[in-house]
Amino acid sequence: MAQRAVWLISHEPGTPLCGTVRFSRRYPTVEKRAKVFNGASYVPIPEDGPFLKALLFELRLLDDDKDFIESRDSCSHINKTSVYRLLIGGGELWPVVAFLKNNMIYACVPLVEQTLSPRPPLISISGISQGFELLFGVQDFLYLNQKNDTELNTKLNQLPDLLLQACPFGTLLDANLQNSLDSINFASVMHSQKQPAWKVGTYKGKPQVSISITEKVKSMQYDKQDIADTWQVVGTVTCKCDLEGIMPNVTISLSLPTNGSPLQDILVHPCVTSLDSAILTSSSIDAMDDSAFSGPYKFPFTPPLESFNLCYYTSQVPVPPILGFYQMKEEEVQVKITVNLKLHESVKNNFEFCEAHIPFYNRGPITHVEYKVSFGQLEVFREKSSLIWIIGQKFPKSMEISLSGTVTFGAKSHEKQPFDEICIGGTAYLKLHFKILDYTLTGCYADQHSVQVFASGKPKISTHRKLISSDYYIWNSKAPAPVTYGSLLLVRCHN
Amino acid sequence: MGPLSRETWAQRLGAFRASPSTFMAGPEGEDLGRDLLSELRSEKLSEQTKVSLLALSLEYPAQLWPDGTAAEAAATSLLDTLVLLPPRPSALRRPLLLAATTALVAGDALGPTSEASRRLLPLLLCLACSRDLGRCFGPASEQRPLQATACECLRELESCKPGLLGGCLGLLRGLLGQEGPVQPLSLLLALALRNALVIQAKAGAGLQGMLMAADTPSGGDPWNWALAEEGDTHLQPQAPSWPPAVEEECGLAVLEPSPEEARELRAAVAQLLDTSYLLTPVAQAQLLWLLGWALRGLRGQPPVFFKPQLVRLLGTAQLTLLHAVLALKAAFGEALFTAQDEALLLRRLTVAAQHPALPLPAHLFYLHCLLSFPENWPLGPMGEEAAPLLLGPQMGHGLVPSLLHDPMALLARLHLLCLLCVEDEEKGQERSPQHYLEELLAGLRQRAALDGGPRASATLCFQASYLVVRCLATQPTVLTPLTHGLARLYHARPALAPHFVDLLNRVGPELGEPLRVALRQEVVSQPGRDEALRWHLQILAKVADGDALSATLGFLGAAAAHCTDWGLQQALLGVCRALLRAGAGDGLADLLQALARQWEDPDGRDHARLYYILLAHLSGPKLGMALGPSPAAPTLASSLVAENQGFAAVLMVQEAPAPIRLSVGPRGVAGAGPVLQLQLEVLEPVFSLELRFRVQGQLYAPLEAVHVPCLCPGRPCRPLLLSLQPRRPAPTRLDVRALYTTPTGLTCHAHLPPLPVNFADLFLPFPQAPEGDKLGFFEALWDSCLPKGAESRLWCPLGPQGLEALVSRHLEPFVVVAQPPTSYLVAIRLPPDSRLLLRLEVAQAGGVPVAFRTDDWTVLPLAGDYLRGLSATV
Repeated sequence: MAQRAVWLISHEPGTPLCGTVRFSRRYPTVEKRAKVFNGASYVPIPEDGPFLKALLFELRLLDDDKDFIESRDSCSHINKTSVYRLLIGGGELWPVVAFLKNNMIYACVPLVEQTLSPRPPLISISGISQGFELLFGVQDFLYLNQKNDTELNTKLNQLPDLLLQACPFGTLLDANLQNSLDSINFASVMHSQKQPAWKVGTYKGKPQVSISITEKVKSMQYDKQDIADTWQVVGTVTCKCDLEGIMPNVTISLSLPTNGSPLQDILVHPCVTSLDSAILTSSSIDAMDDSAFSGPYKFPFTPPLESFNLCYYTSQVPVPPILGFYQMKEEEVQVKITVNLKLHESVKNNFEFCEAHIPFYNRGPITHVEYKVSFGQLEVFREKSSLIWIIGQKFPKSMEISLSGTVTFGAKSHEKQPFDEICIGGTAYLKLHFKILDYTLTGCYADQHSVQVFASGKPKISTHRKLISSDYYIWNSKAPAPVTYGSLLLVRCHN
Repeated sequence: MGPLSRETWAQRLGAFRASPSTFMAGPEGEDLGRDLLSELRSEKLSEQTKVSLLALSLEYPAQLWPDGTAAEAAATSLLDTLVLLPPRPSALRRPLLLAATTALVAGDALGPTSEASRRLLPLLLCLACSRDLGRCFGPASEQRPLQATACECLRELESCKPGLLGGCLGLLRGLLGQEGPVQPLSLLLALALRNALVIQAKAGAGLQGMLMAADTPSGGDPWNWALAEEGDTHLQPQAPSWPPAVEEECGLAVLEPSPEEARELRAAVAQLLDTSYLLTPVAQAQLLWLLGWALRGLRGQPPVFFKPQLVRLLGTAQLTLLHAVLALKAAFGEALFTAQDEALLLRRLTVAAQHPALPLPAHLFYLHCLLSFPENWPLGPMGEEAAPLLLGPQMGHGLVPSLLHDPMALLARLHLLCLLCVEDEEKGQERSPQHYLEELLAGLRQRAALDGGPRASATLCFQASYLVVRCLATQPTVLTPLTHGLARLYHARPALAPHFVDLLNRVGPELGEPLRVALRQEVVSQPGRDEALRWHLQILAKVADGDALSATLGFLGAAAAHCTDWGLQQALLGVCRALLRAGAGDGLADLLQALARQWEDPDGRDHARLYYILLAHLSGPKLGMALGPSPAAPTLASSLVAENQGFAAVLMVQEAPAPIRLSVGPRGVAGAGPVLQLQLEVLEPVFSLELRFRVQGQLYAPLEAVHVPCLCPGRPCRPLLLSLQPRRPAPTRLDVRALYTTPTGLTCHAHLPPLPVNFADLFLPFPQAPEGDKLGFFEALWDSCLPKGAESRLWCPLGPQGLEALVSRHLEPFVVVAQPPTSYLVAIRLPPDSRLLLRLEVAQAGGVPVAFRTDDWTVLPLAGDYLRGLSATV
């Protein structure tokens, strides 16, 4: 379950090496064990330079995509997980856990406590999930509340000390690096027997509990007979509990109104102490029926000090909040577009913002636009070949708005205009961006009175809700569009 | 070197980190380790700089102190530095403990004779027990973190020397029950417990009261170097061997604890699990892996302890926790998870594998877990990816791939879809998974066809095609549209030719054959003069054969005029070579002649002429052999090298699998010495065969080679007689090598399986005894054996056929006096000059008593084995 080495590499396309090792840490005692366990199949951890090169090559992040290279491009070299083998100095370094996020590559090599040939399945290697958790922890630490590069550099400089705390010998003790930072700073806090390892100190001050529910709604709309539209709500419940005592107990209940949509696929934070079996089994895998468990959803837990995600859920609401169609027809250098959007009457008509982004890929810059909007205003981004329809805070009384127009494009020049692999020919989409405060699409809410706190003092309880769009696509109904299997199945069910 | 400033150190460390090997090879390399140790005591450097020096020593001890002596000295110096620290708070104590531990382990210095080990271990244990060490160990506020660090150091030592803390189990349990920090102590205890159980089980020993809670280590030195020595010899994998293997196989012998031990063990495990919620999630997962492994080999210890934890764990989204649950599943199977539990676990995995709130790497790992799911009753072969039985279509639907997925997610989901397609029964329906699969592949091809699109999307398309062929090779409804689709893709983007060649190299004939034909048709129907000519030629070199020859030649003829540069000419010649190899004669000669006249480049012209000459003068199979790439070496791009290899192959001896079967026939008639009668069979015609023999152990004189001019399959060959000249009367094996010529003219060399020479193969009869006094002759031989030789008696078991059958079958030629059924006297001569005499007496139920003598005592065990084995071969 230990790691042999960890790296952070910034991806810098266009530079000679295409990247820089920003941080690396090796664990020689683990390496010692690797040598024994792996026997003849042992491949030592390389130095940073060769590792950088081999990893970027395998992840296709070098700027040399031109030629077919068998060791990377062969059809039988199939990677289905974020675990790679790197060819280094004649040997094969495996397993290398690595992923790219925000231009930073997170990588580590877990210890495999047996021979590597034949390769054991990943599921049998405890270090794989530990490695992922370490990298996720580093990622959370670097990017939580991080605003600019200076802050990133500060945090990178803190990493050696933090890993000395959280992973002194390669075996991860706590993936929450913020905790390690706090424990360096609060070294003098006296601990008692029952102090959990995931809670560094205790809170002193006014007791308060804050609960916020954020729902994101995704949708794929086609406006076609043979393809069903799909949509899904994904909720996150975030808590911050400022309570005195070492192990205060809290129970939060999420409730739904009578016509609310049941919560499904519920995943909870490890601090939740017990779970109702109805919560554990309610899942989007099953066909929906009226007998689905509809709450209240009780989560008893002992909170950590920091803000944390108490649970995630999904839900299948009966209608999408905004239903629309998008028609686009190509006529030589012009396209004709028609967009129609309708807000469902049950949805709160009070947006923080609402916009429709209409990109045109694989074309030249926009040279001319003629349009008519029934509501809101249209902004044209000529060089980026896209339109943004700013709808604003409210839909009109009719709840229905439309846009029609003709867009003319100039000659295509490859560098500047956006390229897309999916939007070829007439295949095109518009994407909705909106946010509604104090509202959830499922109706889910945390009742202040249902929050039970077993700790000294009566805490102040505050709750927040919001709905935001995420991947909300409306596809051109006059051309083929990428579909999911679900869209096809639903049509079969409806027919 | 004098004291260095902070900046100098920063520079030095930076240079070292950039490339440790370069730095160590440089002028400063040698001193680095020494300087580092002395600077730690310098008063000029800040604590922060010293921590960074220690950090370096934690990462690169092997470079700084490359051998055991240096490591021992370094650890001693680090411990001295620790003791000398002033009693105020310091950031150095933790890293010093870590560094001393690392130095000892990495330098292989840890052991009972190492002075530094003898100082470090008691220090760590005292700190872990939170005993008062006096003021030098800093203020009270530092005690707690130091206690935790000491536990971590001990855990690392136990990991590297399993069994070291076997004597401390009771002590650790006691500490955990008191006020010690829960996480470090729990993990340390769990690891030590696991190791002790594994090692004791292997040694067949019990727990010997190791677990009894105690305040102090039980009796004297707590370090169990003896146990650690045991542990060293078989460092055990921490992972339960996966897939669940038989207990012996996974290296974990079964331990059967006494009732009292079992009670103590249960109490210890319950103690660990009860407080596990106080551990961080990653540490909880480690605890579960360790305990799962520890309890796995124990008889009569049902894993029920884990049950109460499972519901809580199944609810979380934590990768490590779900992974640990899967480990328990693999370790205990049905004993811990009923069929319903298994279904619930699968359901949670399916949810996690697509949950929008989780990151992509987690999705991918969960998908892998689904495909490698440790089922209670797996149907398929172990270790192969498969869709779990309980994962029905309903559950699988959410995991179907779409073009919008990331490439890795698409491939993982595609694999699952293929596995579901295999089982799917609604084939051919409009909305069946198979139909969807086709649409998906078509979408991928459309993306790959995009001119100027990234290489990655082309690669993805070919990977997906390969995956589908591998899973669904037997389904023509999938392969036919795939073949057509790929041919259209080539038409749209010939620059993908290398991908096509790669695909053809990897797939079997199910797709390979139709795709070859489709691609050839696609290419030869082109005009042969566009930019894509080099791609067309690359494809043709792969797919051209004797079929549709005129179209191919027509294309090449038209293309020849456009092959103006050397590269294109070589590519075209490559196609000609492929045709020559395939034995396509007619028409090709005309083309080659035309090329030899038409091209201006002398290299191309010469090659064309050479091929023409070869074509005109060599027979088909020989031509193929001359131009075929040597199987041993990969073909280089240069056609010259390729040809040279072909010719060289004809001239050199080739290593080949033998088309010859050699066996020992029935015993032949006796000559002066023992003779083996060999029987030869061949699978293909073989000429000028030479068989060479080598006697293992040089027990016999070297053997002459045997020559056979010609052998044909099906035509009987007279037996070959191989005379043996033993130097000692012992059985052996003969290594056999064959050298022969094939009908194609190649000289080949092959190793045949070794031939056994049995003890009985050496038996020779004595020269004719005097007619009247056979008994006297035997008795004289019998008496002459002693005192130099040896005598023995044994019970020779008899088969149902009885004594007479046994004698007539095995000993007939050697019988001197026969008085059936009461006795047989047998005299055997063993070359070079030994004898074996047998007296077979009246047969009794199931066997016959045999007295035997020999003048060579080394023969005695061989004779014994031979006699005992007789009945088995009757």
